[in-house]
Amino acid sequence: MALIVIAEDEFLIAEVLKIMLEDAGHQVEAAAHGVAALALVEQKRPDLVLTDFMMPLMTGLELAQNIRANPTLANIPIILMSGAQASIGRAHPEAFNAVLEKPYNEARLLSTIEQVLKPQTT
Amino acid sequence: MTQALPRLSSGISGLDQVLGGGFVEGASYIIQGQPGAGKTILSNQVAFASLKSGRKVLYVTLLAETHDRLFQVLGTLDFFDRSQLGVSISYVSVFQTLRESGLPAVVELLRKEISRHGASLLLFDGLLNARDQANSALDVKTFVAEVQSQAAFVGCTVLFLTSTRFNDDSPEHTMVDGVVELHEEVPGVRSVRRLQVKKSRGSAALGGLHQFDITSSGLTVYPRLEARFRYPSVKDEPRSRSLTSGINGFDDLIGGGLPEASVTLLFGPSGSGKTAFGLNFLDEASADEPGLCFGFYETPARLLAKASSLGVDLDARVKAGHVDILWNPMTENLLDKLGHQLLDAVRTKKTKRLVIDGLGGFERAAIHQPRMNEFFSALINELRALGVTTIATWELHDLFGPTVTAPGSELSSLIDNLVMLRHVEKDAQYRKALSILKVRDSAFDPRIRELTFGNNGIEVIVPLEPILHSATGLAAPVST
Repeated sequence: MALIVIAEDEFLIAEVLKIMLEDAGHQVEAAAHGVAALALVEQKRPDLVLTDFMMPLMTGLELAQNIRANPTLANIPIILMSGAQASIGRAHPEAFNAVLEKPYNEARLLSTIEQVLKPQTT
Repeated sequence: MTQALPRLSSGISGLDQVLGGGFVEGASYIIQGQPGAGKTILSNQVAFASLKSGRKVLYVTLLAETHDRLFQVLGTLDFFDRSQLGVSISYVSVFQTLRESGLPAVVELLRKEISRHGASLLLFDGLLNARDQANSALDVKTFVAEVQSQAAFVGCTVLFLTSTRFNDDSPEHTMVDGVVELHEEVPGVRSVRRLQVKKSRGSAALGGLHQFDITSSGLTVYPRLEARFRYPSVKDEPRSRSLTSGINGFDDLIGGGLPEASVTLLFGPSGSGKTAFGLNFLDEASADEPGLCFGFYETPARLLAKASSLGVDLDARVKAGHVDILWNPMTENLLDKLGHQLLDAVRTKKTKRLVIDGLGGFERAAIHQPRMNEFFSALINELRALGVTTIATWELHDLFGPTVTAPGSELSSLIDNLVMLRHVEKDAQYRKALSILKVRDSAFDPRIRELTFGNNGIEVIVPLEPILHSATGLAAPVST
């Protein structure tokens, strides 16, 4: 089971994600914009970051780049969840370990998380 | 010397006209209307139009549908460009900031976001949620004032969207520069969309209600014709030329032809020859005098067949590009859409010979009948000013009868020339009679003439022999 930080400005999506991940046994912390998410990552040092792209104050890409730029955080896996900006995410493999293109179902969400976390735990 | 305010085009030409030239740059507006009224489509259309002029747009939501659901809906619209998302236009939600930290935190967040994106247009969807979070009217005023003043400081135009119909004296209305309200109404059994600019600081907006529709192109706004063309768009120059009517024998009766840039009303019952008259008029169209048939009854194919049966090769005129046919079936039409469609076509095609078959099609499209005279007045004045010579038909309901229900007296006075067509029963035979009742500023032959038409076209022949009541359709011999 992992500690996951969600960076998502849309309240309803963040709530649904939190419920899904907690049901799967994960511990979840959520932030409503990129700056808050970065602070949370620095504080909590999670096993995984799930981030939206368009958010107030900092995009998901900027958040990922900030995390990668910090040597103490750089190895935290990051998954971009996006519909319209999935291509931007795929163009930055150095920032994102995986791109979850919206819409996605719960099974795909959990299997993607499992795949991304696997190298960390083995 | 007065100075024009810099404007932000909405990308919707009709809305720009209603707003007096577009939104004022750096000003703030409320876009209000019930759910489904079209606010979201309108605001996104404005946003994507702004991108085309190199602007950056920030779209902020509170508690609304998810952005991905919004993008799905917008994906059905022509103006939506997915490649701009996150590049030139950003959609962000500030609901959690509102819930956790209140309105001042939202104001601060918006200030940072406008600056971060270099946005020159801010769309704020959810003013009602912001109001719910406020403790007093002063809080609401403060919120609106702070957001708009911060935006105005950097020249950013703000559109606040709300599904509530705020009262005219609400704190929100008092603070913003403009208010645009969208309605969808059901007068009778059909629905009609209309918008109204309820407040427009520093702009001479077109008042009253204006129709609009929503298609895959987004909103198209049709400014009320009599408001848009209160005065003709170009100077109406006096003209002395005449145009041949194309009807054998008719031009001589009215001093050589139809006065250029005049409007002639042909009225008569069904089958009396109104459309045939118009088709002959269009048969004289040329590259120098392009023709347009704006009709409600026959489809283009049927109209061409009808012309052919009258010996008029309209098809050749159409193929040569000298005549265009615009057909609007008499189903669910919008009066102002029809008016603008006609005038746009006239301008685009540089029409000089126009047949409107018939004016009743406009009347049937009207939701508010008392405005018809103002509508026709604006339409006719504009057509005249554009130098268009027009023949318009008007259907009389009764085939025969002792009384003739002429078009409204005020409409008749707007028209330059009046020609009546009737069926006349004489010697167990129906004949068609033509009477000229009015030619503006010109003498004309007042005798009732017989009209014939067949394979060789339409022809006005000798005056009818003396009979009584021919204008009623119930002719009787003159007693000796």
